[in-house]
Amino acid sequence: MRLKKNLLLLFLGACCLSSCIRQEALNSETDITACKISSDILLRDPVITNNKVTLYVNDGVDLSNLSPQFTLTDGATISPASGTALNFSTPQNYTVTSQDGKWKKQYTVECTFANPVTEYHFEDVKYFTDPSDNSGGKKQYYQIFNNLAFDGSSFEWGSGNGGFMITHSDAATTDYPTCQDDNGYIGKCAKLTTCSTGQLGAMFGAPIAAGNLFIGTFQIDLTDMAKSTHFGVPFHSVPKELVGYYTYKVGDKYTDKSNNEVVGKKDNFDLYAIFYEVTSDVQYLDGTNSLTSDNIVSIARITDKKETDTWTRFVIPFQMRSGKTIDPVKLKNGQYNISIIMSSSIDGATFNGAVGSTLRVDEVQLFYESGNN
Amino acid sequence: MKKIILSIFSIMFCSTAMVAQNDRNETLINAEKNGWEYEMKAGINIGGASPLPLPVEIRSIGSYKPRFNGSLEGTVTRWLGDKKIWGVSTGIRLEVKGMHTGATVKNYSTEIVDIDSKVAGYWTGYVNTKYSSSFLTVPVMANYRLDKRWKLRAGLFASYRLDGDFSGYVTNGYLRQGTPVGEKIEFKDGKQGTYDFSDNLRKLHTGAQIGASWQAFNHFNLNADLTWGFNDLFKSSFKTVTFNMYPIYLNIGFGYKF
Repeated sequence: MRLKKNLLLLFLGACCLSSCIRQEALNSETDITACKISSDILLRDPVITNNKVTLYVNDGVDLSNLSPQFTLTDGATISPASGTALNFSTPQNYTVTSQDGKWKKQYTVECTFANPVTEYHFEDVKYFTDPSDNSGGKKQYYQIFNNLAFDGSSFEWGSGNGGFMITHSDAATTDYPTCQDDNGYIGKCAKLTTCSTGQLGAMFGAPIAAGNLFIGTFQIDLTDMAKSTHFGVPFHSVPKELVGYYTYKVGDKYTDKSNNEVVGKKDNFDLYAIFYEVTSDVQYLDGTNSLTSDNIVSIARITDKKETDTWTRFVIPFQMRSGKTIDPVKLKNGQYNISIIMSSSIDGATFNGAVGSTLRVDEVQLFYESGNN
Repeated sequence: MKKIILSIFSIMFCSTAMVAQNDRNETLINAEKNGWEYEMKAGINIGGASPLPLPVEIRSIGSYKPRFNGSLEGTVTRWLGDKKIWGVSTGIRLEVKGMHTGATVKNYSTEIVDIDSKVAGYWTGYVNTKYSSSFLTVPVMANYRLDKRWKLRAGLFASYRLDGDFSGYVTNGYLRQGTPVGEKIEFKDGKQGTYDFSDNLRKLHTGAQIGASWQAFNHFNLNADLTWGFNDLFKSSFKTVTFNMYPIYLNIGFGYKF
């Protein structure tokens, strides 16, 4: 019996010798996790994405000498150093280097005044690139609709393309749910398509990806995908009307979130704009509350929707929510947000829709009351 | 497959029992005189498939369940020479090897490829793994008889995988897409990503085995054998699991010598 014991000991010994948990490696990540700046100049909490920090600032603030402070991933370093005074009249670039020194990420830090552009032609796109990938940042993943604001800052439309990229990073830019299309009403247009995400998408519990486009930022939240879409930017005017053109094609087979066909159900698109008050606990609305939040002051939502392959004009007036008023002081102080939201499948955020549903949108304009401020 | 294996197991057990009921016949006695020894063994495999040494990405192993992995083997040994101290043996073994683990990893590089899509990046968080395979194994061993009761052996084995499952899920963590500085995709509040790499398991395995037997009664042995696989669990073309995992199992059981 002694030998057996010895054998067992030998076995355990071998396991211990070779299988001990080794010392933890240094961090490889390079995130800005928080940004602090003298708070009296900010309209909103800083919006931090994976490579950009947007600071919405009050009108008239002097941007020539600001010293934002950054909190980073443990052990990471930033250059220029946190707290360095820089001229933010134009966006500034920072480089964050990881604790292990092997990884670097560039951030753009941008100050932007309130009103965004209100005419959208969908002629200009930028491409999402990743400087740390194998191509050294040359590979173009997906398109981002870009509008140049009057103050020189750029305003980018948000979309769920970043979510589609998780499983389809090798897809052509025009195979993403949201991309530019040549056959616009005038020039090019935005094309939103409900796409299948294949086996791997289903693995993540997201069998389809609806094409969507909105004013705001996309920060993926797998627990509740509808929370990934952060709608809204500050707006100093009272919006009146949303006008534009669309075409729509309904996809063949309507499926639910388990990818099962729902016989008899037809897909539909959605297109609306919301104007809402920003409070300390509601900095933005997302896909779960963009039509229901108590902070919403007025909504312009399309009602006359049809399947059509000819460009069809829509004129949607903003309607005040009952019991809501617009406070001129809050308006002046930038305490309201605006967002325009469109999707090729109305319930795409919960993965209900028909693959192939295609919404094309062009020449959108947001009309607003001027002179109030 | 599991059912087939179970029925083979039970048939083998039954025949063992039947043979055991009969008195040893003339042929067996003669065979033993000529150095032949026949043994039927049953046991369980305790162990797991592990990268060696553990890669730096593995930060903790939270749970480990070896699972019940049965084995059944028919062995024939030819003892050599007059003294019958040295012998060679071979046999056929039907066995299950499996494990169930939960581990946390940091910055673990992975790429999951499907027909037209892939997920690639660095995972930090919890990984649950369920592994189970059944094998048909042929060991070839050198045997040494220490005394009347003790036998030692060492040799090599080849295994053919009959079926297998390597699957699990990840949760409580995040994936950095592409590189450690890519987009951060969090899996929290019970959100899981599942995986199934069963189709990428290797079919043919080879390895080394050392073992010992202790004769408790006239026909009854206690056995312990350590098997150490030379091959990664997966086909060499499979890159998702970046480190090699080697199956290491201790088989403990009993045997009936005819």
